[in-house]
Amino acid sequence: MRRQIPFALVFIFGFFMIFQFFVPHETSEFFYEFLLDWIIVIGIFALALGIWSLFKVSVEKIKLGKEGAQYSYVTLVGLFLMMAFGFTQKTGEGWGLYFLWIVLCGACIVALMRLRASASAGSKRMWGMMALGLLIGAVLVAIFDDAWAFYFYTQEGLSNSMFRDFFDYIMMPILATMFALLAFYIASAAYRAFRARNLLASLLLLAALLVMSRFNPFLPGAEYVAKASNWLMNVPNMAAQRAIVIGIGLGIVGTALKVILGIERGYMGKG
Amino acid sequence: MKYKILIVGMVLLFGLSSVWAQSEPEESDSVVIDSAELFPAPVSDIKLSDKPNDHGHAVVVTWEPSADDGGGKNNVVQYEIYWSTSFDGPFDTAGVVPSGTREFEHVGSKDPDDPKYIPDNTDLFYQIDVVTADPLIRTTSGTEGPVQCSGQWYNTGRTPVLIAVLIFGLLTAVFVTSARKGRKLYVRPIGGIEAVDDAIGRATEMGRPILYVLGLGSAADVATIASFTILGRVAKRVAEYQTELIVPTYDPIVMSVAQEVVKSAYYDAGRPEDYKEDIVHFVTQSQFAYVAAVNGTMLRELPATNVYMGKFFAESLLLAETGSLAGSIQISGTDEIAQIPFFIVACDYTLIGEELYAASAYLGREPKLLGSLKAQDWAKAAVVILAIIGLIAANLGWDSFTNLFQVVD
Amino acid sequence: MNRTTLIVVAIVAALFAVSWIAHAVSMSGQKDNVVDAFMLTMAAFLTLAIFSFLYRDNPFYKFAEHLFVGVSAAFWMCQGFWSTIVGNLIPRLSEGLSGFFQVPYQASSWNFAYWIPVILGLMLLMRLTKDYGWLSRWPLALIVGTTAGLNFVRYLRSDFIVQVSATFMPLLSNESHPWEGFGAFLSNLNLAATGQLVTIVANWVIFLGVICGIIYFFFSKEHTGIFGRASRVGIWILMITFGAGFGYTVMGRISLLVGRITFLFKDWLQIIS
Repeated sequence: MRRQIPFALVFIFGFFMIFQFFVPHETSEFFYEFLLDWIIVIGIFALALGIWSLFKVSVEKIKLGKEGAQYSYVTLVGLFLMMAFGFTQKTGEGWGLYFLWIVLCGACIVALMRLRASASAGSKRMWGMMALGLLIGAVLVAIFDDAWAFYFYTQEGLSNSMFRDFFDYIMMPILATMFALLAFYIASAAYRAFRARNLLASLLLLAALLVMSRFNPFLPGAEYVAKASNWLMNVPNMAAQRAIVIGIGLGIVGTALKVILGIERGYMGKG
Repeated sequence: MKYKILIVGMVLLFGLSSVWAQSEPEESDSVVIDSAELFPAPVSDIKLSDKPNDHGHAVVVTWEPSADDGGGKNNVVQYEIYWSTSFDGPFDTAGVVPSGTREFEHVGSKDPDDPKYIPDNTDLFYQIDVVTADPLIRTTSGTEGPVQCSGQWYNTGRTPVLIAVLIFGLLTAVFVTSARKGRKLYVRPIGGIEAVDDAIGRATEMGRPILYVLGLGSAADVATIASFTILGRVAKRVAEYQTELIVPTYDPIVMSVAQEVVKSAYYDAGRPEDYKEDIVHFVTQSQFAYVAAVNGTMLRELPATNVYMGKFFAESLLLAETGSLAGSIQISGTDEIAQIPFFIVACDYTLIGEELYAASAYLGREPKLLGSLKAQDWAKAAVVILAIIGLIAANLGWDSFTNLFQVVD
Repeated sequence: MNRTTLIVVAIVAALFAVSWIAHAVSMSGQKDNVVDAFMLTMAAFLTLAIFSFLYRDNPFYKFAEHLFVGVSAAFWMCQGFWSTIVGNLIPRLSEGLSGFFQVPYQASSWNFAYWIPVILGLMLLMRLTKDYGWLSRWPLALIVGTTAGLNFVRYLRSDFIVQVSATFMPLLSNESHPWEGFGAFLSNLNLAATGQLVTIVANWVIFLGVICGIIYFFFSKEHTGIFGRASRVGIWILMITFGAGFGYTVMGRISLLVGRITFLFKDWLQIIS
């Protein structure tokens, strides 16, 4: 029973989606839109599972004292800070004791982690007392400080300036730099391709060189290089793309059908 | 000062005289008669019909253009289409189309609160204005109607897809049944597939872990589903050999499914006690943060083998190059065409496009999974044959054949 | 941590402090200048920390990586909560909750249906319990089933039928270059992009390329004889395509690097304007 219901659900919903593709009527569209909405909502609940997994793995690393465990504190503090910024809002002109509250909470998390990791009863007691003290401090600040408040929502979305600052000055630079690393990586990958000594790799390399040099005006015969690379992009490239797309399309269609009919069950585990 | 007044006076006089000279002829009667002659001929033969193959709330309006559109006075600039729920109006604007057009689809909203809402199963009336460059010079047609719009229960434009669904479904059913009955199916060797088992053996010998990356796809992507099957196979062998497995994930739902898959693989291998929930763990749902973390894992845990299967985007090269620098054997497979080149360059084995799905069927080691592979091959044979017939048809101008494949929305 | 690492960390910390103070002083008079200067310095520090990975794995990279993971995970959690749950779900769920979160309630007779994904979401969270973990498979089944059905018809149309019909093309002539007979064809042998010969050759290459490419993807037949040769041509064309794709991306990647270097020299060090 436990095993059969999920596969029955897969079949029912899969079949419905195929059916609705051919039925343009409002009723079928109505259920289709509902289903897509549901999936988005379930996804957000799943995110909670993800955060829990990240938290658990970090805590586990600290507890076992694995190499690099101290960096797990960085993850946890980053996680906590962004969560705190995401669920609080400045209510007055200044921030008041907000940053003190942040520090107290962050320190409390670190103390709790130390408590979990400590082996002797003495150090357990010490970290426990410290965590409790920091927690009481944080609660007191939260109760008596009027400069900020929990939970907020405005028409513009998240409006805590610290939340935006963290996005602009912490997430964006790292994200953009990771992306920029690709320039070095693509150069090193090209070098790797240069060393390959078989026909297929040489074909790949030649085509890559031709297309790479299409904008280079200093090459002899630059005009012909540009023409040749255009031809490469428009003719053989188009042919191969079409062949791959047809193949992938059939692969997707075949696998999706196997999933709907319950032939492919590898994704659901057994137990 | 005197001169200044004199000059200003002369300028004013000059200006006034030129204004008077220009305005004088406009006051004559002949211009009024001209403008009356400027009014264009109205449109004729207005036809209204419900838009086919839709959810309703839309009407198709067609007409014969004004005699002055492209001929006659040739002064038509655009047509303005108006609609109303009553014959006597008031009429609202439905849309504006340039001259030369003879059809307009009045597609409204299905939401009654939307100002663009068009009711279904209600009498609707239309008028068309023929408009010249001067918006005041226009000719309104008579009111046409009524027409009613409604939703359809079958989209005839998608019949080719329905036929394809039926044929493909039938082929799959036939080959899966014959595979179930024990008929042997040949599958050509695929480089990456053979490499998977060797790579697990190598990791065991070296005492190093295996890193399995499911990519950035969600559980909704079929490539990720194919990857789950391959993960199941890898996890089972890993459990048998008692090697370590690391599966960092990007999507929490993918994490949940992957945990199920790995757990049951450990049960199948008879080693449930070795299974730990943290084998499959969540990292973050941010593309480059995920890459940063996986790259770090590659350099710190030094996996013997990295397997990348699923959907990958710009991060493919960052992952594969780092793995390559760390000296791991790398096997990849994706259906993202733009990322395949980077995997080919930086990995030892790459499953190209459909090979990923074939690998999933092959590694599943169940004959019925291979049955559908045979159906896919038949569909490809059909493509080749259809392409040849279509080619002949296109060259000889047999439009009836080429039109069979036109999917209309 | 060994001595060298400590020294390097200390130097970096000192440089960080100098940059912070320098920016705070240069921004004096502006509101929140100390916080802004800290954030700008942090951004530069993190940029350099990530770049340092090119040399090798090091504590700075590890710091940036772990911070990024924590912050981004929370970022998406908050975004998802406020925009999807509070912004779209709560207004359809209950009037009371809408009032609590200060979002306008959207009354509809079908609003009860939005409790279903909430229940399914809670079933998913049952994974965390030992005894009811199996319940989490129901929402997963819904997601997999729905999207499998959706993908099945969608790809059958876009990747199969549409692509097959695109392969139907005239090999001897087309609308812009009608076939004018062999005489005209031979007397006009040039490689200009508009020439009939070029169009015809291109159409032949595409047609044969597609067929050979598809033959490469045949799995249930041995690739020997003519079939094997066609399959080999297929993989050659695939490799040319992958090479072209690789070459095509290079320029775009280098411009990204230029963007980051501009940030370091313009916004942080203010050397170039």
